[in-house]
Amino acid sequence: MLARINAIALNTFREAIRHRILYLLLIFAVAMISFAQILSLVTVGSEEKIIKDFGLATIDIFGVLTAVFIGIGLVSREIERRTVYTLLAKPLHRFEFILGKFAGLALTLVVNTSVMTAWFFLVLLLKGMFDANLAAAVLLLYFQFLLITAIAVLFSCLSTPILASVMTLALYVIGHLLWSLDLLAVRLTATWGKAFCRVLYLVLPNLGTFDIKGEVVHGVPIDAARIAWAAAYLVLYGSAILGTACALFERKELQ
Amino acid sequence: MARALALNPRRGMALCALTGLLLAVLVQGRLEASRPAGAVHPLLYLPSGKYLRAVSLGFDGLVADMIYLWSIQYYGNFDIKDRYSYLEHIYGQVITELDPHYLDPYLVGALIMSAEARQPEMALRLLDKGVNNNPDQWIVAFEAGFLCYDELHDYKRAAYYFRRASEIPGAHPLVRRLYAEMYNRAGDKRTSLKEWSEIYDSSDDPYVRNVAWNHVHDLKVDVDLHDLKEAVSRFSDKAGRPPARLGELVTAGIAGALPLDPEERDYLYDARTGDVRYRGSLVLGR
Repeated sequence: MLARINAIALNTFREAIRHRILYLLLIFAVAMISFAQILSLVTVGSEEKIIKDFGLATIDIFGVLTAVFIGIGLVSREIERRTVYTLLAKPLHRFEFILGKFAGLALTLVVNTSVMTAWFFLVLLLKGMFDANLAAAVLLLYFQFLLITAIAVLFSCLSTPILASVMTLALYVIGHLLWSLDLLAVRLTATWGKAFCRVLYLVLPNLGTFDIKGEVVHGVPIDAARIAWAAAYLVLYGSAILGTACALFERKELQ
Repeated sequence: MARALALNPRRGMALCALTGLLLAVLVQGRLEASRPAGAVHPLLYLPSGKYLRAVSLGFDGLVADMIYLWSIQYYGNFDIKDRYSYLEHIYGQVITELDPHYLDPYLVGALIMSAEARQPEMALRLLDKGVNNNPDQWIVAFEAGFLCYDELHDYKRAAYYFRRASEIPGAHPLVRRLYAEMYNRAGDKRTSLKEWSEIYDSSDDPYVRNVAWNHVHDLKVDVDLHDLKEAVSRFSDKAGRPPARLGELVTAGIAGALPLDPEERDYLYDARTGDVRYRGSLVLGR
């Protein structure tokens, strides 16, 4: 089983790294990280915070865009090109196909995030501002990309690329606004309303779990347990999403 | 251009694109020129940082950076006459709400408020917020103390901030010295002497010990002369005459013991006038 998933993953990776959009996003990301240095020249006070904020935000934005724009086409493009029929005619389970696709994009994101992080760290090293804690923030950002990839794969099984990208980006926005549901629950008087908000808060993907950019930039020590809990959340929530995607793809009629 | 398009479509289209871009630049320049000088920047209509934080999707630190960078340019533009109208909103409600731990906006915002807008109380409100949001950063409380000392000449208030700053680990040694000095400025020489004596006793730095000694020297003379003159006055009220010598103050039970000056000598006493004097000269001469 693992060998088959591996084969799909490697092929997905090869396909993804040939994608023009990946290079376009990478070039933009590297340019944005470099631009932070120019921007920091017009500040009064510490330029370090601006360079770090800008670098982490760039990795975040371009990582999410990569996950969304490559992830949404993973399954639907195979169906569109009818290559999925050739693949599924082989001794390959549908869930292996989905897991392989996810693993392939996860690998692509490792390369993508590594390139952006390497450039970001190089800029910081040259400026004498390097802080090893930033690696923890990048690691959690990568966890976030993985969850978004899983969501993109799920929507890719369900819908067209455009609709899938809209839904994935919508869930990204919702995932960063979940804390407002808790605030809303406090203001509601009806018990069912409070319960509904609470259920939504717990069921929807909480992307705030993976956001420690602010703490890291301000030098707040990051507890290893925080990273471990975020990893556990990713594994459990990601498994649920991928499980749903596999189940949907199993039932999907491919004609 | 039509001829160029017909002869060589690719070159013609490139020419069209270039012309379009050039015209757009000209129109933009015209728009900039027609904008009235000192027009209020649209960013002044920014909602509070609490709401901006909600829509920043986790990029609140970056949004705070961007608005702070904009504010530096904006408040540095002396052509905008009403630029201070929204000063407290921009620094107190927007930037520091977006990123409460970003120290530069507190320090620079307070500087603009006090030095440029001549609003030291507004600056203190911003610094108070900074102190509360960053209880581990001595520099914010120090700035508040310095503003009270240098701008408002409110030495008791300055002492409060300097004390808060000096209690934070890593505070610069100067903070403690300013704290001690604020009591002197506020007229509480006894507390100032106590603080300067502690600095003198606890420091290993010869420079700091020398500075502290100078203050201790002068303050001790001031405090001793004040105490002795008060004792002489009380003696005079009780006996109907000034004491013949300072030792009489101890005999009469008015003073516990006679203090010696910083050089371990007796203070000079004039029995005719009841005046007590120091026989040396003050180091700082204040």
